[in-house]
Amino acid sequence: MIFTVVLFFFAVFQLNAQEKETKVDTISIKTSAICNDCKERLEHDMAFEKGVKSVELDLDTKVLTITYKENKTTEEKLKTAVTKIGYDADEMVADQKAHDRLPACCQKGAEPH
Amino acid sequence: MKKYIFIASLVLWQTAQIYSQQVSGGVFEIVNGENNPLVGANVVQLNSLNGTTTDVSGHFNLKLKNEFSKKLIASYVGYQNDTINLEEIGYEHVHITLNNLQNLDEVEVVSRKKGSHLSRSETRGITSINEGELQKAACCNLSESFENSASVDVSYSDAVTGSKQIQLLGLAGLYTQMLTENIPNLRGLAVPYRLGYVPGSWMHSIQVSKGTSSVINGYEAMAGQINIEYKKPDDGEKMFLNLYANHMGKIEGNLNARFELNDKWSTMIFAHAEEFGVKYDYNDDSFLDDPLIRQINLFNRWKYKGQDLRMQFGFKYLTENRQGGQMNYDPEKPNDTENGYGVGVETDRYEGFLKMGYILKNRANSSIGFQNQVVYHDVNSFYGLNDYDANQLSYYGNLMLQSYISDTRHQYTTGISFALDNYNQQLNDTTWVRNEQVSGAFFQYTYSNYKNLNLIAGVRLDYNNLYGWLFTPRLHAKYNINEHNILRLSFGRGFRTANVIAENTSILATSKRVLFTEELNIESSWNFGLTYTAYIDIGAKELSITTDYFHTRFNNQVIMDREEDPFIVYIYNLNGKSYSNSVQVEAQYEPINRFELKLAFRYNDVKTTIGGELKEKPFVSKYIGLLSASYQTNLKKWQFDLNVQVNGDQRLAYTGFNPEPYQRPERSPVYAILNTQITKYFKRWDVYIGGENLTNYRQDHPIIQANEPFGDYFDSSIVWGPISGIKVYAGVRFTIK
Repeated sequence: MIFTVVLFFFAVFQLNAQEKETKVDTISIKTSAICNDCKERLEHDMAFEKGVKSVELDLDTKVLTITYKENKTTEEKLKTAVTKIGYDADEMVADQKAHDRLPACCQKGAEPH
Repeated sequence: MKKYIFIASLVLWQTAQIYSQQVSGGVFEIVNGENNPLVGANVVQLNSLNGTTTDVSGHFNLKLKNEFSKKLIASYVGYQNDTINLEEIGYEHVHITLNNLQNLDEVEVVSRKKGSHLSRSETRGITSINEGELQKAACCNLSESFENSASVDVSYSDAVTGSKQIQLLGLAGLYTQMLTENIPNLRGLAVPYRLGYVPGSWMHSIQVSKGTSSVINGYEAMAGQINIEYKKPDDGEKMFLNLYANHMGKIEGNLNARFELNDKWSTMIFAHAEEFGVKYDYNDDSFLDDPLIRQINLFNRWKYKGQDLRMQFGFKYLTENRQGGQMNYDPEKPNDTENGYGVGVETDRYEGFLKMGYILKNRANSSIGFQNQVVYHDVNSFYGLNDYDANQLSYYGNLMLQSYISDTRHQYTTGISFALDNYNQQLNDTTWVRNEQVSGAFFQYTYSNYKNLNLIAGVRLDYNNLYGWLFTPRLHAKYNINEHNILRLSFGRGFRTANVIAENTSILATSKRVLFTEELNIESSWNFGLTYTAYIDIGAKELSITTDYFHTRFNNQVIMDREEDPFIVYIYNLNGKSYSNSVQVEAQYEPINRFELKLAFRYNDVKTTIGGELKEKPFVSKYIGLLSASYQTNLKKWQFDLNVQVNGDQRLAYTGFNPEPYQRPERSPVYAILNTQITKYFKRWDVYIGGENLTNYRQDHPIIQANEPFGDYFDSSIVWGPISGIKVYAGVRFTIK
């Protein structure tokens, strides 16, 4: 048992060490996110876009900050991905179908809550 | 002309000096993941008298005065103040959420999001209910939900039925009041198997509090309170599916889906099915290690959200069939000694609830609430040659008014309640009928000085048709010594009516006879608790250390005395002392980003007068140690959980009067249990694999006289450890948000 516990801790430290960043770029995208629900959705879904290394939404400014591998994706692709989740990304307007599928509280014009 | 423009612009400029900016927004509290408007909350410009209060929908408009800073302070009685810097977040749609301070118990939150576990953060009062500690096991039901909780122990009741029970403060789960969405539930006949009645993926969160709790929910919580919140029809994922299987052959499926019909109405359906149909006997005692189980559990709930009126109602149905006993027992054949020892428990349970809340328009921060619940529980069972059939009809109604005295620092909740329990029980040739009615009234006063002191003082007076008048005073206080040190105190009385057979069906799985030597009184106890929490900044992270001490003293307790006679269990009222002391220290820290560690230790000293002698209560571990570690990779794509629990030695029920082969040691050994789980998250799917009891630790020979189950010394209730060994499981979850 002690072995398993030690192994677990060891694995965690290993994984942590592996997270050193390779050649990356950072982009800030102004979105139409409204609430914490939006934040969770954007962060979760964007995490699964190719090349994304880290993603964080600041709800106060509605700015989504993404760190990504330069050779795997582009700003354009990332913004398109945001619109497909249902949110505006800078000048790009949200995909209407995706937007309409969002819960009422997350659709444009909803009161912040 | 130029002159006029000049004057006009001067006037405008001056106006602008006084009222530079209009601010609009709302003040809310988060209850179960949704924003509830706070009506009558104060919103004031920092260091000024320029302020307003929120309207019925929690909204406000305020003209800022330029001479003061562009900061707002929002306050509401019983809630933590919040300062908002408008220059940072803008002037429109200012969304303020305040944290409730009213729950003064150290509420431990075991919350489950997306039917699983994400990250977790430590808990302070009710504040973190939604962001609270998340579950780390692919738990099938409530019994696995406490794996990472240092306060709640879960153990088997016997070696044949698979029934599990919780312990809080080293006291049986019976002394902990169970609530579902703040209505007392899972009582009486439901007790032996109740932990299996709440599927894991139905739950939104669980709140655990130690000590006596609020008087609002009745007089029962003697050692603690566990409240279960189900997922809500107007919040969270739209659809969720979970499929689970373990290597023993247990399969399980959970489905829930919610529908928002319009602005006001929403509904949600839950379905759960599980089956375990494979007979195993790894310990070679001729008895199944785990009983065969088939359960179907369905729940439909509705919510209406009007301007002033809120309403929720729902229906639940559960049917469960359990079959245990000897491997060769054939349920198709007559249940006699020829056929071998069998256990069969058939349960049908119906629940219905209706809750209404009405916000009073003309008085800020005031509302009326009405809770109703009807439960019908029917059980047909046999344990060897013992036949036990019973049903229970229960009603619970609670009408409450919440408002304040003079100003909102002094709030109160008052109301009346009525509870009915109608039991019909038949054990072999004996029939019991019990009709218990409890009418009560309560008053609870809540004080907050907005700074560092909160107080809840409550009294309730009940009339019980069997036991007369019962008076229950309770007091809770919380004092913030400073930002990093919080002291909590709780003191109060509790009562409970024992249902000896219904709540201890394990005793039927022995050859012993139950003998009531006197008329039983209502159980009553006093509980005192002190909790000290320190938050220490180490680097960028905060280490939290919570130390608590709880003392429970029984004035009356129903004693099940099996220490006098090998063949008889005597049931009588406590005659002497009975108490529990419990000391716990729990530390939580995140040494590396997304790597969370929890370490806890608890010491139990629980003694009861049995047969005129003060003895250590059997089946209570002297101490419990818990280590829980959790790591989540960047972007939450992988999650690793590990959990080790060390169980100290327990005094076992006395068996010294049995012939030698049927004796057991006086104390159990110390043992540890190791669980782990790995979860891989995809965009819509999660896949998990895990193992319970990885070291394959098992109690040897859990059943006394297993070779002759109809013999005089047969006893399956001397259980202190796991009956079945390692379990490896895997599953998938599918979520539509």
